[in-house]
Amino acid sequence: MTTETHLDDLAIKTEALSRIYKIRGAKKGEMRERVALEDINLSIPRGELFGLLGPNGAGKTTLIKILTTLLSPTRGRAWVAGFDVVRESDKVRPRINMVSGGETSGYGLLTVRENLWMFAQFYGIPSRQAHQRIQTLLEMIGLADRANTKSSDLSTGLRQKMNIVRGFMTDPEVLFLDEPTLGLDVQAAREVRAFIRRWMDENPSRTILLTTHYMQEAEELCDRVAIIHEGRILACDTPDHLKQEVQHEAIFQLLVETEQPLNSLALENLPGVLRLHHQWMNGGLQLEISLAEEGVLPLVIGELERQQAHLRSLQKRQPSLEDVFVQLVGLRMEEVERERGNGYHPNTQE
Amino acid sequence: MLRSPAFRSFRMAAWLGWQIESNWTDPFLFAIYSIIKPLAAAGILVVMYRVVTQQAFDTPMFAYLYLGNAFYQYVSAVTTGVSWAVIDDREHYRTLKYIYVAPLNIPLYLFGRGVARFLTTSFAVLIIILFGVGFLKMPLALSTIQWPLLIVSLVLGTLMLGLVGLILAGITLLTARHSYYIGDAVAGALFLFTGAIFPLEVLPAYLRPIGYALPITYWLELMRRALVGRVAQAFPTFSALSDGQLLALLALMTLALGIISLVVFRWCERLARERGLIDYTSNY
Amino acid sequence: MSVVTATTPIRKNSGWRLFLQTVIGRAYPRVIGQQREKSWMFFEVLLPLINVAAYVYVYRAIGAPEDYVGFVVIGGAMIAFWMNVLWSMSSQLYWEKEQGNLALYIISPAPLMAILLGMAVGGMIATLLRAGAIIALGTWLFNVQYVVMNPWQLLAVFVLTMVALYGLGMMTASVFLLFSREAWHYVNLAMEPVYLLSGFYFPLKNLGFWVALGASIIPLSLGLDAMRQLAFRSGPSLGFLSVPLEIGILSVLSVVFLVAARWLLKTLERLAREEARLTENRR
Repeated sequence: MTTETHLDDLAIKTEALSRIYKIRGAKKGEMRERVALEDINLSIPRGELFGLLGPNGAGKTTLIKILTTLLSPTRGRAWVAGFDVVRESDKVRPRINMVSGGETSGYGLLTVRENLWMFAQFYGIPSRQAHQRIQTLLEMIGLADRANTKSSDLSTGLRQKMNIVRGFMTDPEVLFLDEPTLGLDVQAAREVRAFIRRWMDENPSRTILLTTHYMQEAEELCDRVAIIHEGRILACDTPDHLKQEVQHEAIFQLLVETEQPLNSLALENLPGVLRLHHQWMNGGLQLEISLAEEGVLPLVIGELERQQAHLRSLQKRQPSLEDVFVQLVGLRMEEVERERGNGYHPNTQE
Repeated sequence: MLRSPAFRSFRMAAWLGWQIESNWTDPFLFAIYSIIKPLAAAGILVVMYRVVTQQAFDTPMFAYLYLGNAFYQYVSAVTTGVSWAVIDDREHYRTLKYIYVAPLNIPLYLFGRGVARFLTTSFAVLIIILFGVGFLKMPLALSTIQWPLLIVSLVLGTLMLGLVGLILAGITLLTARHSYYIGDAVAGALFLFTGAIFPLEVLPAYLRPIGYALPITYWLELMRRALVGRVAQAFPTFSALSDGQLLALLALMTLALGIISLVVFRWCERLARERGLIDYTSNY
Repeated sequence: MSVVTATTPIRKNSGWRLFLQTVIGRAYPRVIGQQREKSWMFFEVLLPLINVAAYVYVYRAIGAPEDYVGFVVIGGAMIAFWMNVLWSMSSQLYWEKEQGNLALYIISPAPLMAILLGMAVGGMIATLLRAGAIIALGTWLFNVQYVVMNPWQLLAVFVLTMVALYGLGMMTASVFLLFSREAWHYVNLAMEPVYLLSGFYFPLKNLGFWVALGASIIPLSLGLDAMRQLAFRSGPSLGFLSVPLEIGILSVLSVVFLVAARWLLKTLERLAREEARLTENRR
């Protein structure tokens, strides 16, 4: 097949994309394999803000590295802006850019403006146009008053804003945002999300692939979301469609007071109870319970009373992407991350 | 004492320094790596000497410059070991801020970081001397070595070099990461003044006082005297001073240097805090 | 707020324009960095000058002919370029990798050779200052006498040496794509052993024919030898090979190193992509 004709309307396409890392084992000289991505098939049309949602270590960053020409796949193929990322990386690079959250870029001794100008040079943008564009974007993101500050003197949040301008400045056809709001405070994260949305709204041909492990971010920003876990895509659709999968469930949040440990098994075994999570919060026990239908609720309350747990509040909740994740994986995202625990290896991150 | 913060700082830093210096390759390659540089530095002087004197290696002059150069390896190794730790921890590992907030004694931590280079350099110096004796007929006999003087001088000299390193570490706290090792640059320059490879008398009269003011000059003379007393006697620089007097001078200078280096380091540290440079990343 | 400018299509140069822009772009932080933080002047210009003087006095102490003093001065000046290649260019890639900039360079359309050249050009102010100070002050302080019969040939040798040298530096830099700390240590090894093999402080001929021939792979060896032959009275009699032959070899080295650097950078980048080394941070 000729990739150009088939891929013209697609910003990103992957076919059975896999990546296996070789990592050192516990014994000297022992090498083990870790599957970071397995048979990923994605088609992202131009103009879409596509989200990859998954816990740390799911394979999001590995996918971004492959698509941005930093890493070769072990198997399968990938195209970005119509070009093969392995064989035609020279053609991919002028068309993309990437911003990773929590990473610094540029040089501490240069000012914000100077750092950005330098990166503009690497993309062949003439100086005058680069400066105009930098100024506009700095104003848009609220960093114009710090343009002449050395980047080493910026706070983490402001440094990340500079990093974001660096990525958007070259007006890439496809932009990769890897956890763009990681480590930012609530206000800064909100500003960054607004900036991203505005940038997409300005030009319908722009495409963003965004990875995040914040459910709310994916819901708020993305046209479509893929849920990724242990290197596999478990579901891929619009946030609304994904949530419809769990729409038939009734999800309740209950806050109870109890003197003795709760027998959660007894609750889970009630007919009609699909899932139950509980955690201590504000001096009480918070239960989040998914039911096959609302009519099951009296049974739950009855069981709580039997266990001498007093109900303090009860709230029905709309399903979220978190519920979709739980339905697909069986665990909440934070529980997955906790389970991974110390399994981190610098060479195998995600 | 073994549980004191000071000892803990030193021991932990020495262990860390050794890991950083050595764990990038296997021990054999590391040993080769550790001796190639100093051997090449000695080789330069050997060739220079041979070119001009047509291989007269059994002269006092050759032993003077060969041994002076060999022990001079400690100067750049120890001063760099102590001062580079600031750059390495601040800009590379980005741990300097954590070191500062931990209950550690920073000068002793930096001394500890210099231990690895001291050990590898000791190995290299030994190889250089053995090479000189074995292949270049340098006049050195085990029976004439003054061991107590050698050991005391080496210990005192190492402490003195560590203190020079501490001053450089203080300066490093205030400067950006440039492309050179500050210890190497300073050691390279002091090479001229300390009578390492030629007697101070060769220098113009106006430069000699610098040499007399530097403890390294006295230390190198002591090391030569301890190893090859006859060679040292052939040069007039310190002929008026006995071994004991030289040692006392070195001890006094080290003491003075100790005070100066602590004052300078604390002062630089204070400035670095004021300017917010403890967690500075200056790459350019 | 108007966001018209953000949607205006932007022009992006490619080819030689992009190459040039990249060189200037990467040289900029170096130049500005040195401007903002001047402590390097003391450590990188003054102290090396004093170090060179030490080798001059060794020759004085052992009664060497006066031309040898000139040899040391020229050799000491050329060390500045070798340092620029090693520390401002090749191993700088190690820092770029550790600090996360390398990935941004790789994903940009900028040629890696241009990035490396930019680093070297940016460090050139310090290098030229250091080399110039050593030549000027060394000549003045030690009364070095030059006899230059053919300045054009001397200039040609210098330029060829530089081209080959920076080509070699780019080859070395490519190793950093695949390795990190190990490569840094190997570069560190290229100091004193290269000073020895390239005859920075003595005529190359004195290493013996075969060693000198082997050392000729380092462009500075033949470059220095030819420059000494062209600049000193006793130079020709102490030269290793004839100047035209040395120019010929340097020309070949220049081409070979530049082509090899391009190939190595591409090949090692591919290998590094396969082995996930471009973004690793082993610290």
